[in-house]
Amino acid sequence: MKLIPLAFKNILRKKTRSILTMASIVLPLFVICILGTMIRTLEADPTGGKGMFRLIVRHKVSLANFFPEAYREPVKQMPGVAAITILNWFGGQYIDNQPRNMFQRFAVEPESFLAVADEITIVEGTAQDWTSDRRGVLVGSLLAKRYGWKIGDQFVLKGDIFPVNLELTVRAIFKAPDETSVYFNRTYVEESVPWAKGLVGTLWIKADSPDAVARLTRMIDERFENTPYPTKTETEKEFQNGFISMLGNVKLVLNAISLAIGLVILLIAANTMAMTARERVTEIAVLRTLGFPKSDILTMVLAESLILALIGGGLGLAFFSLMFPGFRQGLLESPMGGFAAGMKLFPEVLIVGFLITLAIGLAAGLVPAFRSAQREITDGLRQVA
Amino acid sequence: MTIPIKYNIRNLFVRKITTTLTVLGIGLVVAVFLAVMALAEGLTRVFTASGSERNVLILRQNSQSELQSGISREQMQLVGNLPGIQKDADGKPLASAELVVVLNLDKRDGGSSNVTLRGVQEKGFALRPQLKMTEGRMFVPGQGEVIISESVTKRFKGTKSGEIIKFGAYSWKVVGHFEGGGTAPDSEIWTDVEGMMNTFRRGGFSSMLARTTDRAGKDQLLAALSADPRLALEGKSERAYYDEQTSTAAPIRFLGFFVGIVMAVGACFGAMNTMYAAVSARTREIATLRALGFSRLSVLASFVLESILLALLGGLVGCVLGLAIVKLALSGVTGTTNFATFSEVVFAFRLSPELLGSGIIFSIFMGFFGGLFPAGRAAFTKITEALRQVG
Repeated sequence: MKLIPLAFKNILRKKTRSILTMASIVLPLFVICILGTMIRTLEADPTGGKGMFRLIVRHKVSLANFFPEAYREPVKQMPGVAAITILNWFGGQYIDNQPRNMFQRFAVEPESFLAVADEITIVEGTAQDWTSDRRGVLVGSLLAKRYGWKIGDQFVLKGDIFPVNLELTVRAIFKAPDETSVYFNRTYVEESVPWAKGLVGTLWIKADSPDAVARLTRMIDERFENTPYPTKTETEKEFQNGFISMLGNVKLVLNAISLAIGLVILLIAANTMAMTARERVTEIAVLRTLGFPKSDILTMVLAESLILALIGGGLGLAFFSLMFPGFRQGLLESPMGGFAAGMKLFPEVLIVGFLITLAIGLAAGLVPAFRSAQREITDGLRQVA
Repeated sequence: MTIPIKYNIRNLFVRKITTTLTVLGIGLVVAVFLAVMALAEGLTRVFTASGSERNVLILRQNSQSELQSGISREQMQLVGNLPGIQKDADGKPLASAELVVVLNLDKRDGGSSNVTLRGVQEKGFALRPQLKMTEGRMFVPGQGEVIISESVTKRFKGTKSGEIIKFGAYSWKVVGHFEGGGTAPDSEIWTDVEGMMNTFRRGGFSSMLARTTDRAGKDQLLAALSADPRLALEGKSERAYYDEQTSTAAPIRFLGFFVGIVMAVGACFGAMNTMYAAVSARTREIATLRALGFSRLSVLASFVLESILLALLGGLVGCVLGLAIVKLALSGVTGTTNFATFSEVVFAFRLSPELLGSGIIFSIFMGFFGGLFPAGRAAFTKITEALRQVG
């Protein structure tokens, strides 16, 4: 253990090399952290845990088909339904189709919607303001900030599935785990598009207990199985996962890239350690002659590798934590904008990043450390550097 | 006077471990870059290869895709009589009014995704000459029969010939398979439009596709469409429609560049380390070269060249690795959802020669920047001091 200070001194000996090695860890680790954050974001539950108690009923063929509004009454009567509302995807566009102007737009039934979406807290305006204005809109505070919307402001949504231009007035702003949506009254859409009357995209149900969740899923689908509009009922969590599985195997791609990046860092660090060990063959032989045991030599070389990796990794993690808000902001404007909204600085990601650094430090130093410790003293002394 | 390149090549082989580690590092960076870009390119190709310049796709105004569009039977009749549309041998317009609906099917590798079910009229096939039947037979209209692309069958359960796709009261019998040469129909299931309208109780179509006589005919049709406000339809060339969808690949391309560049910076530092070590191990040698009369510039050039050679080796390894990954591990079809059409696009990874070339250029850049500073140090070695040094 006496040789640990020597490990520090060794790092300072070739400053350029140490700095370059650390630098080559910083940036790739930064990327690994970002990819990790993406994976974690994909796994995150946007409903803050409430998705387990909520069910979504859609047309069995796919989400893009409608079913009759008349389905609501029989479902509402089923035991275990605490609240039920209608949620229709509106689509359309705000200003243009640029990624920064993409957000989710839903036509809902305001009163019952607020009963089901109980994670929503209205922070400006009131629920009353919104529900009583047929052309009112409830907007997420993130969107309000992005577009500078204030209570009373108006904006237009151009319809596509429903050919109507909605002129909406901001009546309330909400906070929730997901603030990237706007909600307005479906009656407004139905009045303007006659064929849309009585059509429903999804029913959204709050169950009163976990038991009810499983029971309702079965009951609802069996009830409509042989009608012209069969349904599929799933928990909100399953519904969200469905969207992720539609993207393809994103997690696998991100994991594979992260693994490859980790390997690149490992190769660079291993190269540094191999060069360092080779240059010190004579020196290590001298240390052995002085009586330092093999285990001390092993510890010294490994310590040097670990210290290098940990400083680089620490800087990388610090850099990531520092840059993250800016990076997220930048991503919000990019084609990945919708996804970036759900990104957070997850502590797990930092922990995994630290573990990766530790593993790289150990793995990079292992072979040179063993070779240095095992080399015969006579061989070492004979070698001309 | 230039230092022979043989000098650099031999030097690379003297330091086997260091050279190997650096080459592998750069190779891995290039391979990852290529694999991600091959994903983006495969996806882009589906859109760029799809759609003819002469076919005009007609949608409801403001619709971004067929799924959001709607055309009534009356509108279809009116459009059929517009000028510019080519007439077939039977004297009817070469046009097909179509209905698209997405079906949520289970994937073979888990999860589910939406697949486009397209109902076509009789001329739907003549409008897309790239389609070839590969197995089974054509559907019989009105019988609830479908034909499915080979690629979709590879990715989704229950879509082989003879199987039945069933959603409660809805069911379709699979009677054949087709192949569309890597174009959009490769991600689709086809049936006859009238039967499909019955099944889904729809009174109208989604879109209409028409072949125009020539460029003038196309302009004529487009002008006629926009001149008639009663129709409230808009037309665009089928090619333009698919071009707009290439943005689906934008996030992947972004990821590829982002990851590629950041990793390249890391690998650059690695190469720099290797080159610094090479320079410091050869200080006396360099001084000797200088004493022999080789100029600073020759020494600089020689070391930059050595670094580029090192990186180039890495680039080649990366290309081989990338090719191996794409040809062996990722040779099948994959898919992602095109959110403009809310349905799956099935595609294959595509590693084009241009992409491989860009990987090589990418590695040369890494070598150049990684070698510049160490080469600078070599060029400014103090001759007398270095020669006096006891190595």
